[in-house]
Amino acid sequence: MKTARKSIAFQLIAAVLAVELVSSLLVAALSLVYERHIHLSSFDAVLRGRADSVLGAVQDADDVNDNVILDRADLHVPGEDLYEVYDDGVKRLLGRSSNWPAEDAKGLVAAAPAQLAATASNTFSHLKIGRRRYGFVLLHGSRIVDPGEPGGGKVHSITILYGAPSDRVWHAIDSAVEFYAAGSILLLAITGPLIAWLLHRGLLPLRQLAALASGITANDWHFDPPESARTTPELAPLTQALENTLARLERSFVQQRTFVSDAAHELKTAVAVIKSSLQLLSLRPRTVAEWQAGLARCVADAERLEELVGKMLTLARVEDGAVAVGSAQACDLAGCLRRAADELATVAALRSVRIDAVNLSEAMPVPLAAEDCWLVVSNLLLNAIQHSPPESVVEIRMDAETGESPAAIEFSVVDRGEGIDPAVLPYVFDRFYRGDPSRARSTGGAGLGLAIVRGIVEHAGGSIHLASAPGNGTTAIVRLPRAAPIPSHALADSAVSSV
Amino acid sequence: MRVLIVEDEARLAENLAAALREGPGLAVDCAADGLTGDAMAGYRCYDLIVLDLMLPKLDGLALLRRLRGRRDSTPVLILTAKEGKSTIVELLNAGADDYLAKPFDLGELIARAKALIRRGKGAAHPTLSALDLEVNTFEQSVHRNGVAVDLSPTEYRILEYLIYHPRRIFSKRELLEHLYDYNWEHHSNVIEAHVSNLRKKLEAAAPGAEPVIETMRGRGYRLCLGQSA
Repeated sequence: MKTARKSIAFQLIAAVLAVELVSSLLVAALSLVYERHIHLSSFDAVLRGRADSVLGAVQDADDVNDNVILDRADLHVPGEDLYEVYDDGVKRLLGRSSNWPAEDAKGLVAAAPAQLAATASNTFSHLKIGRRRYGFVLLHGSRIVDPGEPGGGKVHSITILYGAPSDRVWHAIDSAVEFYAAGSILLLAITGPLIAWLLHRGLLPLRQLAALASGITANDWHFDPPESARTTPELAPLTQALENTLARLERSFVQQRTFVSDAAHELKTAVAVIKSSLQLLSLRPRTVAEWQAGLARCVADAERLEELVGKMLTLARVEDGAVAVGSAQACDLAGCLRRAADELATVAALRSVRIDAVNLSEAMPVPLAAEDCWLVVSNLLLNAIQHSPPESVVEIRMDAETGESPAAIEFSVVDRGEGIDPAVLPYVFDRFYRGDPSRARSTGGAGLGLAIVRGIVEHAGGSIHLASAPGNGTTAIVRLPRAAPIPSHALADSAVSSV
Repeated sequence: MRVLIVEDEARLAENLAAALREGPGLAVDCAADGLTGDAMAGYRCYDLIVLDLMLPKLDGLALLRRLRGRRDSTPVLILTAKEGKSTIVELLNAGADDYLAKPFDLGELIARAKALIRRGKGAAHPTLSALDLEVNTFEQSVHRNGVAVDLSPTEYRILEYLIYHPRRIFSKRELLEHLYDYNWEHHSNVIEAHVSNLRKKLEAAAPGAEPVIETMRGRGYRLCLGQSA
């Protein structure tokens, strides 16, 4: 029930019905006012007309004594009407209808004769006499007796109080209001289900969308929303959001799957090497020297497998976001670069490559754990050395942003190697990607180094990009945010730890 | 017999080459990427190609398609680390003859390699015989008239190569191409010396019988099977 109350359809229906109820109440009230006005004014007109005819009956009556009388011979008014006719204000009663009510009721009509005489003509009032309701009009008129005589005759002022039952009028008003009210209720009754049905129909695309979305699994990313969902202004943002989210999820799923399959391929190959090395040894009788050489090769193969697994784990750690970000973990980039230049100098010397460190004088704190910083720097430097032709120079350069408190530090590793084909440049950071696999194999790389580097740098809030021209060497440019200055004792610690 | 191994994993290629050389005594060349492999296969001097699938520059499947596209019918054994039946079906449909999933058993690889070479030569059984000669490719032994003939590895390889196609004439160049890999110096008189030794050993096994290997001057060698004596 709670969920039903929260449903948009329920809320919409309730709101519409409430608005409709309020408006029907307003209609009923307005119709009451209007109908009352219309009916009562016509009733009053009728009342006046009848009062006039009573006055006419007084004016037309000829009495032999020149008295003013009420002649009922020509008076045709409904028998249920009440009237009273007075002469000279209300001093003398000329006559009244036969059904004029008892004294007590009469008292209500003409409680104070003086007051009645003073009341203006055409005053209407409503009274309840007995069980019936009556409308009354007060009419002042005059009757001139013998106008042709000298002195202008005698003027009698006539006062007529005329009443007629108004039950029918009130009934008409009531039934009109009732009609409007009943119509409104009927409308309400129809509107409820109709809106519910319309809403149900109107929300159909939404339900279709939901059904489509719920059909999506990790294996089936097919999401093809109907054209209506794309073109409906209300649904378009939702559809768009769903499509984008799904596309993103699918991409990362595919990436993950590719990674797993690539990892499996690498591991299988590594295992195949070890297995074939061992089987080759047992293929035929060997001398002790052959066994020893063979076993040494097997150990080397196993070490490569170990290294591969280690790199995969590092990558998993880096991509999990386990690299802590913040000033709590900071190390000196300049120190790290110097150390890498020193430690890899022998590796470089093997290939007759020289390492040139430029501008590494001052300490540059970066928000990286010492081992991660080492991974970044050593991977880039090793790459550069491996891709350098003999007798060339690998340059490490550091450029802090100028200004009082530079926010970022940039360092680059430049080699004079064969460069990277622009076509493959976008993929060099992909896991297991090798620009030249046969060559990378011989140097023991599995194509994970740059992926690890990028993972670390990006988690630290930095960026990395490669600038390369085939034949002209490659420059790896790493940009890292600057961390808070490191206390000198911590600096010493970070320089000691190694990977 | 000469085998081409197209495999980018240097250590694996090394092991495979060593196993194929030591086991069935094949001549082995290695290519580290697809394009090199394709170029080497283009010489058509191989009796088997062992092909890795994930290769730099040109992947194994594409290489296979190129190979079959130019009507090269050299048997191809695929090495794959990929899972899934669809891949295997696709490979076989593209013209592969057999496949092995990594990590594989070296003994199985050698056996399959030998079977593929044999099939490629049109023989179903590992024992080949012609006239009074019997060559057991499994044991690498040769008998003439039931008498075992002790041959050096190269002599054996020459005889094995000839006996797959009795009566066909093999040029010295073809023998060189199919029996030696690039690690050897190519001198046609090496072949002449080996053939001469082979002839002597075969005659010693059956004194007085007709010579088995006939020299076609300027054209090459063939097994003569006695009819034209």
